[in-house]
Formats: sequence, structure tokens, C-alpha cells
Amino acid sequence: MRRVTTRPAPPSPIGEPVPRRDGVAKVTGAGRFTVDLGMPGLAHAKLLRSPYPHARIRAIHADDARYHPGVIAVVTADDLPDVNLIYGHSVADHPLIATGKVRFAGEPVVGVVAEDPVTAEEALRLIVVDYEPLPFSTSAAASLAEDAAIIHDKPGEQRAHRGFEEDIERTHPNVCSHSRQAWGDIDDAFARADLVLEGEYRYPRSYAYAMEPYNAIARWGEGELTVWTSGQHPYMVREDLAHCFDLPLSAVRVIVPYVGGGYGSKSYTKIEPLTAALALRAGRPVRLALSIEESILTTRGDAATIRLRSAFDRDGHLLGRQATILLDTGGYAENSPLVGRKAANRLGGPYRIPALEVTCSTVYTNTAPASSFRGFGAPQVTLAGESQMDEAAERLGIDGLEIRRRNVLRPGERPWPGVRGIDADLPADLDLAAEELGWDTPLPPGRGRAICLSASDAGSEPMTTSVLRVHSDGSVTVTCGSTEIGQGSSTVLAQMAAGEIGVDLERVHLLQSDTAAVSYDRSTGASRTTTLMGLAIGAAARDARSQLVQWAQESLAPDGPTVIEAPGGVRIGDAFHDWGAVVRSWFGGSAGEVIGRGYIRRSGDTAEMPPFWEIGCVGVEVSVDESTGEIRVERLVTVGDVGCAINPQLVEGQDIGAAMMGLGMATREELVYEDGNLMNGNLFDYRVPRTTDLPELRTVIAERGDGVGLYGAKGGGEGSLNPVAAAIANAVYRAAGIRLREAPFTPERVWTALQQRDASTRD
Amino acid sequence: MRDTIELELSVNARAHALQIEPRTTLGEVLRERLSLTGTKISCDAQVCGACTVLVDDLAVSACTYLAADADGREVRTVEGLSTDGSLSPLQQSFIDHAGFQCGFCTPGMLMAATALLEEDPHPTREAVIHGLEGNLCRCTGYAQIVDAVLAAAASVPGPDR
Amino acid sequence: MIPRFSLTRPATLLDAFAAHADHDGDAAYLAGGTELLQVMKMGFAQFGTLIDLKGIDDLRGIDIAPDGRLRIGAATTHRAIERSPIVRQHLPSLAALAARVANVRVRNTGTLGGNLAFAEPHSDPATFLLACGATVELAGPNGRRELAIGEFVLGPLSTAREPDEVIVAIHVPPADPATGRAYDKIAFFERPAASVAVSLSVMDGRIRRAIVAVGSLTEAPTLVPGAGAALEGVDTSGDGLGVAHRSAVEAFSGLDIAADLNGSPEYKRHLAGVLLGRAVRGAVREASAHA
Repeated sequence: MRRVTTRPAPPSPIGEPVPRRDGVAKVTGAGRFTVDLGMPGLAHAKLLRSPYPHARIRAIHADDARYHPGVIAVVTADDLPDVNLIYGHSVADHPLIATGKVRFAGEPVVGVVAEDPVTAEEALRLIVVDYEPLPFSTSAAASLAEDAAIIHDKPGEQRAHRGFEEDIERTHPNVCSHSRQAWGDIDDAFARADLVLEGEYRYPRSYAYAMEPYNAIARWGEGELTVWTSGQHPYMVREDLAHCFDLPLSAVRVIVPYVGGGYGSKSYTKIEPLTAALALRAGRPVRLALSIEESILTTRGDAATIRLRSAFDRDGHLLGRQATILLDTGGYAENSPLVGRKAANRLGGPYRIPALEVTCSTVYTNTAPASSFRGFGAPQVTLAGESQMDEAAERLGIDGLEIRRRNVLRPGERPWPGVRGIDADLPADLDLAAEELGWDTPLPPGRGRAICLSASDAGSEPMTTSVLRVHSDGSVTVTCGSTEIGQGSSTVLAQMAAGEIGVDLERVHLLQSDTAAVSYDRSTGASRTTTLMGLAIGAAARDARSQLVQWAQESLAPDGPTVIEAPGGVRIGDAFHDWGAVVRSWFGGSAGEVIGRGYIRRSGDTAEMPPFWEIGCVGVEVSVDESTGEIRVERLVTVGDVGCAINPQLVEGQDIGAAMMGLGMATREELVYEDGNLMNGNLFDYRVPRTTDLPELRTVIAERGDGVGLYGAKGGGEGSLNPVAAAIANAVYRAAGIRLREAPFTPERVWTALQQRDASTRD
Repeated sequence: MRDTIELELSVNARAHALQIEPRTTLGEVLRERLSLTGTKISCDAQVCGACTVLVDDLAVSACTYLAADADGREVRTVEGLSTDGSLSPLQQSFIDHAGFQCGFCTPGMLMAATALLEEDPHPTREAVIHGLEGNLCRCTGYAQIVDAVLAAAASVPGPDR
Repeated sequence: MIPRFSLTRPATLLDAFAAHADHDGDAAYLAGGTELLQVMKMGFAQFGTLIDLKGIDDLRGIDIAPDGRLRIGAATTHRAIERSPIVRQHLPSLAALAARVANVRVRNTGTLGGNLAFAEPHSDPATFLLACGATVELAGPNGRRELAIGEFVLGPLSTAREPDEVIVAIHVPPADPATGRAYDKIAFFERPAASVAVSLSVMDGRIRRAIVAVGSLTEAPTLVPGAGAALEGVDTSGDGLGVAHRSAVEAFSGLDIAADLNGSPEYKRHLAGVLLGRAVRGAVREASAHA
């Protein structure tokens, strides 16, 4: 790892590679995930899922299952008249269990609760469902055909304040949402162009494969509901549960222990309302633990078809971009409307573009629902945008690095009117990537290199709180609604609290993600936690310190002299009193505590949107096995432009992990549908990267203190995924002279392109 | 009355005698009967390696290995890696090198690496990469895991190093 | 989840047959379980009783029989084959193949007999053993019989084994010293996309008696006599191998290959051609080392 730092040094331990605080728990097996929890009386649920991609449910015959020994409850939509069945993050269109109709193969139709999971599964085999199959479509294009079957008879109610606030224009009954991003005079841009490129790019349906499958436990008390879940957004789940069961927010408690991988796929509400409904009917606490096969059917990434035109002048300056994007959102909206919004925003990339016009539609299909997934529209559109940057460079005889230098936004420049200026130094990032990749060194035969960029409006909404308590011994408890999903929030947030309050890290303890015990945070996603929760913790620390200074004055020096704040306490004359002493003195005994509060909203530094720009800067060197079509990434360079690396080891881990995930998406990962059914909904046939795919790595962390967070920090964790597919496509072009526009670049697709190349050379 | 069988096995050097249904997997015995939830179930298809445990020193997938087949055998799980409360060199190395993030693959990864290092205490980088090919991790991208295993091997004295 | 079943653990073949007869139609034999338990988990098969064969001595061991054949007990794990000094000496390509089956955990529990009994079309050992002229020894209540691999494997997940028969051992006939055998595969997912096995002998620098088998492409591992014939008589030192390779690959055009996630029939046929080249070079190398 190489750190390039131009920011001032923050107080220790901020900026240091301290060991992960969840380390011992996770290497000894002691760390508890939701799936590891048990409780007295716990019953187990299994789900019967639709075999049809689109069908009306005529009847459900479940009596044999109800009377199967060991079965506690059999639940269909008809058994839940007292529950608001429809939920949905941005559009309320999703019944927690099928109501009269199924919209994808794998949709839950019946839930069975039994004494043990095997018995529940036995009972599922005793249920007969009478379906009336309906015509279906499994691609966005097919869904938009004039005679396509209508998947949702009436539009779902749009939810307020879920980050997606546009009118949904249903130009076709199967359009779920429609987003537009435009500025400048697009006709003029193309009229003035010396070079116009046009192409269609495809990005596949993908699966995040969080290794812990979706699972939850629901337990009802007297008018209260407690849910333990593998979901990454406890507060949003709380809101949906309160809605489904008509409960006040305070009656719903959502607890998230360690989460076994999220990558966006555990954003928002998934199986929690259904688990709670099953527990309600069973009259027992219920666990619903999905398999990986079922998890694949629960959420996937949006497939995209992008038609992009780019206009350049002869010097390689971008004059305009025009694009139409179709996202296949599957049977339900989930969060795809926002993915569509972000795809439209992110198509411009980190470039100065005088005119842009992008429309993006998300389209219902009879496939598993798509929603948030690491990168959030950016990997899809970056493949298109960055491919055309390289194509233009080649056509205009400009170096691939140089054309980017000419177009990237300089620090402070606004990508479009009304948004925050770029809080990164992209020209410097490009130089770092080029240096590490060896841009100017000769290429071995059969190899190709490329460097690609992305910029994402990240951070979501600043709606974040934290409570920081300093105890009478000076130790600190921080509570916050951000989840530890592996990204290391439990470590970096504690580091920031320790640095900001001035105590040793060992004396700071963090409590996360229990809505009854910690204060509100909107979400753990969009790479926001270090930035926004960091700010909230910083504010809470300041609030605690200012109270403590006042308390010190009142109780330790009521008649002067003036108390001076020092790291970890106060100075009165020559005497130092640590925070614990101040607490004890103010309460006049041996106990007590101070409570610091931090609130972050759209105000002050975080008034401008987005809270920060998340940069992707990736370089690759690839080889192509022309006999089989296999691509190998030989060298991978990531530049993490994160402002201030609170913990550089964890930043590096995020960058490598994201880039390797991008490598998987670019080369192998794709959920394939045939005849309405998912053909590879398991780990046998959906291949994620393995150790043997590991390239030689060079990681750089650029710390220029230019983010809005503490000490100039800003988010990371998605950026290094976003440009990977484009970088590989461009490098393959350099290596083998073939232009790949459809990800994943499977061996057969590469081989076919090589055959076409050879055929055209022969002609 | 459902069929049950007697099972006697040693788990992390502790003897257990249980009545189980024959269908019970070793993973279910560990997690549900013995409360050793360190062993994780992910793909449930012997692909991902999250459930890797050692039976008589050989790595197996606890998700699909019948508990009955462990009768009379020695089983080792992640909970048995540390002795007297101190971490093994491999566990410590995973912390030092940040060889995990979410931690769900980690118990299986540690057990696979344990078996690897017991057979080949000083493996090459290639041998580690190939030895762990059957253990998936979706967070780290593997680099820090490979580094952690190599560093753990290097911390143990060996021939000609 | 694995559905409920009863388990019996016979110590002899006769006890196994008796147990099978007792649970007529609702029993299956179990060895390593890596395939059977997986399909039961997925709901593709259900049996009231599983009869565990791992305790039966007849199914164990690796040795060279008096007739010179290599005998591998059916309950031998892939790992035991990989590590066996006898296999490494007499059939090194099988040891190498065993070291590349699935992943280490499957190799530690999965057995050769179980692999063949399951007849998964992407099976590594079946393809290689087909090219080696191996036979499968079956025992049932009505006696023993031996079938060539090609007679044993009938199609995808289908074999000539009667439900009450047990695979006892796999026999590989001895080869003359100038024989080389090689197996190569390419995998994009958990199972191979294509695999090719070659058995040939080299005399006076020329290939004699070449046998070529392909796996993963068709419903069952398949011998391709035309490919073998194209290789016979070729000088291994010059560029004749390249020419022979091209005509050998043409023999693959007769194969009935279905499209799947790995790719189109054309592409998979092409892959088999690439693998054939690699396997032939490997087999020639081994043969020349012996000669």
C-alpha cells in the first residue's frame, strides 16, 4: 500500500492502521451473526415459492400441511387480514407474501412455521397451489413490447422521502420509474462534433453473494415487536415494520448483530415483515433463514442496456453525451427507481461535459427483484462512458491517459449546476494510477492496459445522529445506528470517537444498530458511514466536551481561573483533570456521566448535495488466452481518493474487495434466465472470484483532506468497483483488438469476438 | 417415533455423546446441539467452504457431511484454534493482515488454512492460492487472506528459512 | 435441508444386499455422500433408508492384482487416489486428475465409486477411465459382473447398475511401457466445461493405438474413435502432430453437444480441440519418458 498524504495529521488514533475491533470475535467464532442466535420457544419457518414466472393463484390447498405433526402455522396472504401486506422502499408495490398473483419464479406464496426446519420443509411438500399461468417477460425490452403482459395492474403508491422524489411517468404499464438528467444544448454539441461515437452496452443481472443468507427472527411482546435481522438498515426496516403492523415506531425494535456481507444487497426491508407476520400467526418467536438459492431470488443487481452517443472535438474534448438506459428491475421496484436515478446522474462520470441528456427507465420483468448493489448504477454506466473515452482516444490518436486528463473535472468544479463541486484531485489520481501500472513501460505481447475513472454522487441523505457518553472513569460509550457489515465501521467510528474526545481507543466502546438503544441513522450504505456518522460522532464529542468544560468551571474552579480544554480533559492552572474527574466532581460523588449529542442534517457543511463524490480510479493490465477466450487480469491498480484514511488498512481492504468484485462482474458473473426460470441460481453455476483470480496488486490511498467528513474524510468502498469492467474491456481491446460491449466478458464472448476479428482481417 | 442413532465424537478435544436423527449434518450438530456457531453455513452445497471443519485432520464441508460419519472421530472447529485464551499464530495473522471483513467466511478459511499448513508448514504463495481455491470470500478479494496465511507460516520456525 | 431417512451400516456386502431387500424400492447406497446428499437436499431424490457402504472391507484398498490390473476399491476417496504411491506409479494421470476434482473438501470425502455411480456428465474420472479401458466391478444379490465404463454409464445420471447392486471396485488394465495417458479439462464454473482424455503409445517416435475420450460435452463421456485414428501413425517429433490434431478435432464434429451456461456447441467443441492438443502433448511426453 502506498499512502500519498497532503493533509494535516489528525489526532491519534485517527489515520492509523489499528487492528479491527471485531477481530478476536471473528477469528475465534465467538462473533454472533443473526443466524447464530437462538431463544427459548423459537420456531422455524420455510417458504413455498412459485414455480411460475407470472401466474394468478386460483387456490391454495394447505390442510395436509396444517395437520402435519410438528407444524405450528401455515400462512398465506388470506391469513393476514390484519396486516398491511404491501411494502416497498421507493414504490409500495411488494406484498410480503403473494396476494392473488405471482410476478417471478421464486416469489413466496405460503409460509410454514414448525418446531424445526426439516418438519417445516416436509410440510411444504404437502401444499398444493393451483396456478393459472400468465404470459411473462424476462427482459426489459420484452416487457416494453406493445402486447407484453402487464406485471402490475395498477401503479404502486410512491413512498415519500426515500431518496427518489420524481413523478413516475408510466409511458408503458411495465415502466416502474423514469429519470432524466440533462443540461446544456445537446443538439448544438453533436452539431459541432468532430467525432461522434455510438454504441450499445450491456451489464448483466448480478448477485451480490453476501455469504450470510438473508435471515431474521421476529418475536412479539405485548404490543411490541422485536426483530433481529441480517439487514444493514435497521431504522428503515423499523419504519416498514411499523407500517405493516400499524405500530408506533417506538414499539418496534430492530437489532442487527454482525452482518455476513451486504454490498448493498441487505439494504432496506427484505424478509422482516414476512418473518414478523409468521411469528404473529404462530404465536411464537420465529426464525426465517433463507438458503443462498432463496437469497438469490430475493434481491439481485439491475441489468442494464445503455445506448450511448458521445460527441468529441478533434482534440478529444467531450462536447456532449446522450444516453438512454433501460434497467431490468424484476418483479418489484425495491430500490431500483433510485438506482435508475443514480445511473442517470453517474453516466457523465468525472468529466466536464458541456451538454448531456440521459433518460433512464426501470422496467418491471418477471424476474427476481433488483435493488441496491455496490456501485448503484455506476458500474453499469461507467462501462459505456469509459469505453467510449478509449474509443475516442484511439480514433483521435490521443493517449488513453491524456484524453482523460483533458476532460476530468478539476477540484471544485461542479459536474452539473446545483451540485457540490468535485472534492477530489482527479488529474493527480490519474498520475498515481499510471505510475503504479507502469503506463509508459513496454507491453508484453498479448497484454493490454487501461485506466478508467468514475465519480458517484454518494453519501445518500445526511440524516444521522449519535450519542456519546463519557463515564465517571473517563471511558466512553458511543451509540449509533450504523451497522458493522464488514466494512470496519466498528473500528473507524471508535477511532474517531477516541481521537475527538482525547482518550485511548481501548477506553472507547461502541454500540451499534439496535433501534431501542441507539439513536437514529438513515442507512449504512452509499459509502456514507465514515463521513456522516463520523461527523455525528465528532459533533457528539464536541457537545460532550463543551459541557464538560462548563462543568469543570462550575465544580472545579467556580471562582476562576478560566478552565482551559486540553486533550482528554481540562487544565486549571498547572493541574490537569481528565474527563472522568470532571464528571465525578460535577456530580459531587464517584459516579455520573455526560451525554454528548451529534446531529447531522442538510445544513452547514452537509447542506450541499451530494455529501461527497465517490471516486473510482482503477488501472488494469490484462492478458487474453486466444485459444480459449479466457481473460486474466495480471495487474490491478486502485487509487482510493478518500480525503483522509481513518484506518488505511481498512480502506485498502475495501478497495481490493470492491475491485475484485468488479472483476467477477466483468468476467463471469451473470444471472441467466431461460423460459422464465433462473438457470444458475446457485453457487455451482454462479461463479464469484476465487483466490486463483487474484492479480498482482498495487494499492494507493490518496489523502488530500478534501472531503466533508472529519479531517477531510470522505467515503470509499464502492469506487474501486465501478470502473473495473470498463478498464478490462479497454485493456482487452489493447491486448487483442476486440471491443467488448456486453458484460460479463465470458470466455465464449471473447472467443467469438476473436473469431470475428480474424474473419474480418481475412476479408 | 423418529429414528435416532447414537453419536460419539470428540470436538475440539472434548468428548460428546448424543442421540441424533441420521439425517443430521455435522454442521447441525455443531451449531444446534453443541452451540458451536463459529462454523458457518453459506452455499450449503460444498462450494463456498464457509463450513470447513477438520475431521481426523481432513477438511470437510460440515454442511453436507453426515454427523454419523464423524462417529468415533476427532472434529476440530474454529472454536478450538486458540488455546488457553490465546490466539493461534494463524488467527493473530488474520487480525494483523485484516484477512477478513464481514467474517462469515473466516472460520472456514481459518480451518482450510490450518489443514493446509499442517500438511505443508511452509507453503509457497502459489500453494496457498491453490490450497484455498475452494474457499470463497466476497469481502476481501483474498489478497490479505493469502498474506495472512503466508505470514503465519513464516512466523513458525521451519527448515532452511 | 437433507430430508429424514434411516441409516444402516452393514459390515459386509451380503448385509448390504439384505438391507436393500428389506427396504425394497426406498433405499439407496451411500458412500462419501458428496453427490447423493446434495441431490436429496435439493429435493431431487428421497429415500427412506440409506445404506452406508463405507464399512465394507471389499470396497477398500488400492493394489495391483495378480493379473496386473490396477484395482481401486470403490469407496476410495479422491484424496486417497491422489496420495496413493501405487496410483502415482502406475497411473500418474489419475493421481493428477484426482488432485483436481472439485475442491479439497469434496476430494477428502467423495469416492471414486460414488462419482461413477452418480454418472454426472461432467465427471472427471469417468472420462479418463473410459480412455484407459477401465471396468467397473459390480456385486449384487445375484453375483458379480464387470462392465466397461462405456457400458456402465448409460447417460446423464444413468448407469447400468441395478438398484441393489454395489460398485465394488474399478479395474484399470495394465498398459505397455510405451503408453502415455493424459487428462485435461477447462472449467468456468464448479464443474468442467469440457474435458479430454487421451491414451496412446509411442513406438519409434510414432503414435500407435490412440484412444480419445471427451467429457462434459455430451450426455455421457464418449469415445471418439475418429480422433484416435487421426493420431495413429503420426511422427511425434515434427509438425505432424499439428496436422493430426486438426483432423482429430474434425472427428469431434460428430458429437451431439448441447448448449449450456458454458457456451454454445461450437465453442465447447472448440475447447475440446484445445484440450485435445494439451492432452496429446501430455500423453506423448509420458509415453516418451517410459520408452
